[in-house]
Amino acid sequence: MEALSMLLSGFSEAFTPLNLLAALIGAFIGTLVGMLPGLGPTSAIAILLPLTTVLGPTQGIIMLAGIYYGAMYGGSTTAILLNIPGEVSSVPTCLDGYPMAKQGRGGAALGIAAIASFIAGIIGVIGLVFFAPLLADQALKFGPPEYFSLMLLALTVVVSLAGNSLLKGLIMGLFGYLLAMVGMGPSGQVRFDFGINALSAGFDMISIIIGLFAVTEVLKGIEEKHAAISANNIGSVYPKWLDFKQSLPSIMRGSFIGFLLGLLPGCSTAVSTFLAYDVEKKVSKNRENFGKGAIQGVAAPESANNATSSAGFIPLFALGIPSSAPLAILLAGLMIYGLAPGPVLFEQNGSFVWTVIASMFIGNVMLLILNLPLVGFWAKLTQIPFGVISPIVLVLCFVGSYTVRNNVLDVFVTILFGILGYIFHKYRWPVVPLILCYILGPMLEQSFVQSLSMSGGSFSIFVERPLSLSILIGAAILLVVSLALVRRTKSSAKQAVGSDVDIAG
Amino acid sequence: MKRMKKVANLLASVVLLGVLAAGCSQETAKNSPAGSSEKEIKYPTKPIEITVPFAAGGGTDLNARAMSEYLSEKWGQPINVVNKPGAGGATGTLEVLKKGSKDGYSILTQSASAGSALFAGNPNLPFKLDDLRFIARLAVDPLAYVVKADAPWNNLKEFSEWVKQNPDKLTFASNGTTAIATFGVIQWMDSIGADFSKAKLVMTNGSGDALPKVAGGHIVLGVQGVSEVANLVKAGKLKILGIASSERSPYFPDVPTLEEQGITGVTVTQWYGVSAPKEVPDEIVKKWEKSIEEMLNDPKYQEKLKSIVVQPSYLNSEDFTKYVKDEVEQFKQIANEKGLIK
Repeated sequence: MEALSMLLSGFSEAFTPLNLLAALIGAFIGTLVGMLPGLGPTSAIAILLPLTTVLGPTQGIIMLAGIYYGAMYGGSTTAILLNIPGEVSSVPTCLDGYPMAKQGRGGAALGIAAIASFIAGIIGVIGLVFFAPLLADQALKFGPPEYFSLMLLALTVVVSLAGNSLLKGLIMGLFGYLLAMVGMGPSGQVRFDFGINALSAGFDMISIIIGLFAVTEVLKGIEEKHAAISANNIGSVYPKWLDFKQSLPSIMRGSFIGFLLGLLPGCSTAVSTFLAYDVEKKVSKNRENFGKGAIQGVAAPESANNATSSAGFIPLFALGIPSSAPLAILLAGLMIYGLAPGPVLFEQNGSFVWTVIASMFIGNVMLLILNLPLVGFWAKLTQIPFGVISPIVLVLCFVGSYTVRNNVLDVFVTILFGILGYIFHKYRWPVVPLILCYILGPMLEQSFVQSLSMSGGSFSIFVERPLSLSILIGAAILLVVSLALVRRTKSSAKQAVGSDVDIAG
Repeated sequence: MKRMKKVANLLASVVLLGVLAAGCSQETAKNSPAGSSEKEIKYPTKPIEITVPFAAGGGTDLNARAMSEYLSEKWGQPINVVNKPGAGGATGTLEVLKKGSKDGYSILTQSASAGSALFAGNPNLPFKLDDLRFIARLAVDPLAYVVKADAPWNNLKEFSEWVKQNPDKLTFASNGTTAIATFGVIQWMDSIGADFSKAKLVMTNGSGDALPKVAGGHIVLGVQGVSEVANLVKAGKLKILGIASSERSPYFPDVPTLEEQGITGVTVTQWYGVSAPKEVPDEIVKKWEKSIEEMLNDPKYQEKLKSIVVQPSYLNSEDFTKYVKDEVEQFKQIANEKGLIK
């Protein structure tokens, strides 16, 4: 097979010391920025883009790619140990990862996150090797109506993430959507800016996430005299065989969902992690455990996360379509080197492409090696006394929220949402639906407007197209199933505990 | 390595400045032709900040980065590129005007989108065209009219015939009612005598959103810069019907221009340029003009532009200002005629 022999020669290239070093540095920086709230792969790649003038194309792209998938690993660490997601896509990981850490199973959670990421990363790269041109073509079949239906399907997740009150969840979802509407709408008109110029650009999602999670966590810590999860009781980082066996199907499902969604331009990792988490919760026999430390709840989103990011390279390399912000900057890197993506890239610069792909295999192995033993080291973070770590976290929050758009408003937004998040926590209003709708709302609206422009205002466009119709039917089924499951879970939890409990708060 | 060289350069110039003023003037003398009557100013003496009003990775960003890399080496001062995306370019522009320094150390890079189209399409902007001093145009990226690769039309002439018969079946992707793609479609449809009011605009979020939808056949027509369509065309997913430019594109020499196909009057093009708050001193504008002109004539920089698929196209401050003003007027007129601004 041609692809295989090309890949092997790619490996021989990737194993040169310089390329190995580039992959290692990339993976390490990626892990680090993934952990820091706000400083995600987008800003890290943007900051390091000028380095491409120093490095050769192969090393440059290997390193930037390493940062990208490394950040997907890193995001899980702080999400699990501190309940602070470094990335939006790590939000679902918090839901079960943090409870696991509180139960002294933080090590197992981190371990399974690393293993899930590894398996999914490898699956994604294999897809990239064998099916890139074929799959990229399929992605083009998705037009605005299909995206709209897909977003509706993703929105049904709100039902199962609403926690103890569906009504509260829906209200929070609407609130999230309302926030997303501030700024430029899909028809180019500025909405809800109340005449304030700074608001015309809208709120930045990252600063809201940092506020709702990181700042809120600090505030909660002040109140609770934060019981730090010490490294002594995070348990072994090598998950027990039973844990692994329980998680493997979740990892496979998560990888599959993540991979498929990753092929679609514009479908962010956040969407696939939320969906993967929700699917896991639905197929699980112990739904009550979700939100209280179910290992599957960590495995699924983490694998979806990495599969999506690996799959994103398929439309990028095959067609030159970046499916997310960090990939757009990576595309810029390719362009700077004069490497225009597309089938031509595979033909003309085959050795480059295969070396980068081979380095992604190596990078994933490196990340696994880097992460498992280092888990203990990262976990030491949580041993640092609260009085020391919380100011540092706050500073990182402010720096992180500022650097996304270099905008001071975002820092104030972070503070505001930190306080709001604390109030929400106090009165048990679930914040996850807010985030979900904040992400999905604008995508939903845009594809809705686009679809209606295509059809000249006729709603039938959503049901006339077979692909869109099937997704819509899928969404309807999912909604009914979700509602039924939530009701059942709630009643069984009520029986078990004797009172209303948080299912996912 | 280059970075180290930069640091070394910086150190060297600091030493030169402090100890041997003559050494410094010698260096600036190298940059100016002998016998220049104006007093050569010492600029830049500190890092310059270049604001890009769009996200990293787009056309404006790539041009800004290529330029700052070149000029920082030439001037021996770091030039930092900062992305301030939002509101179609208004956010970044406002930042430079409100918070930027007026002494030539806050520079804005623009494109037709964040320049002419922004001003023409938004009567209520918190700043005016005259608040900006347009320094120089860097490059152009002519508009390519693209359809999906297996569409039945092979050139814009055939496509125009179809559109004249079926204007209501035409859907086109554009960033907004007053984005440059919209103006490109209006000028073309007016030229062929088709009814623009029947065509359907599908609002997309940049070329990364628009082009896959055109390639998949969900939207009939895409009008985007050559640099933006290049990848998907080379991948065999899109077909260029024509390019709106007076000469054929060096990147697609086989594709006829619009004029060759008998379509006249399409003037809109994507361009990239540099501006600053209007208070910027004249000598600094001169220095930029000269350096940019030299840069665009440098084969090394032209190679760089090839990698980002745009064409160097220099205009000095005066011509550039006039160009932008004319374009804004023209766009405003089109927008009023077609009722694009509500």
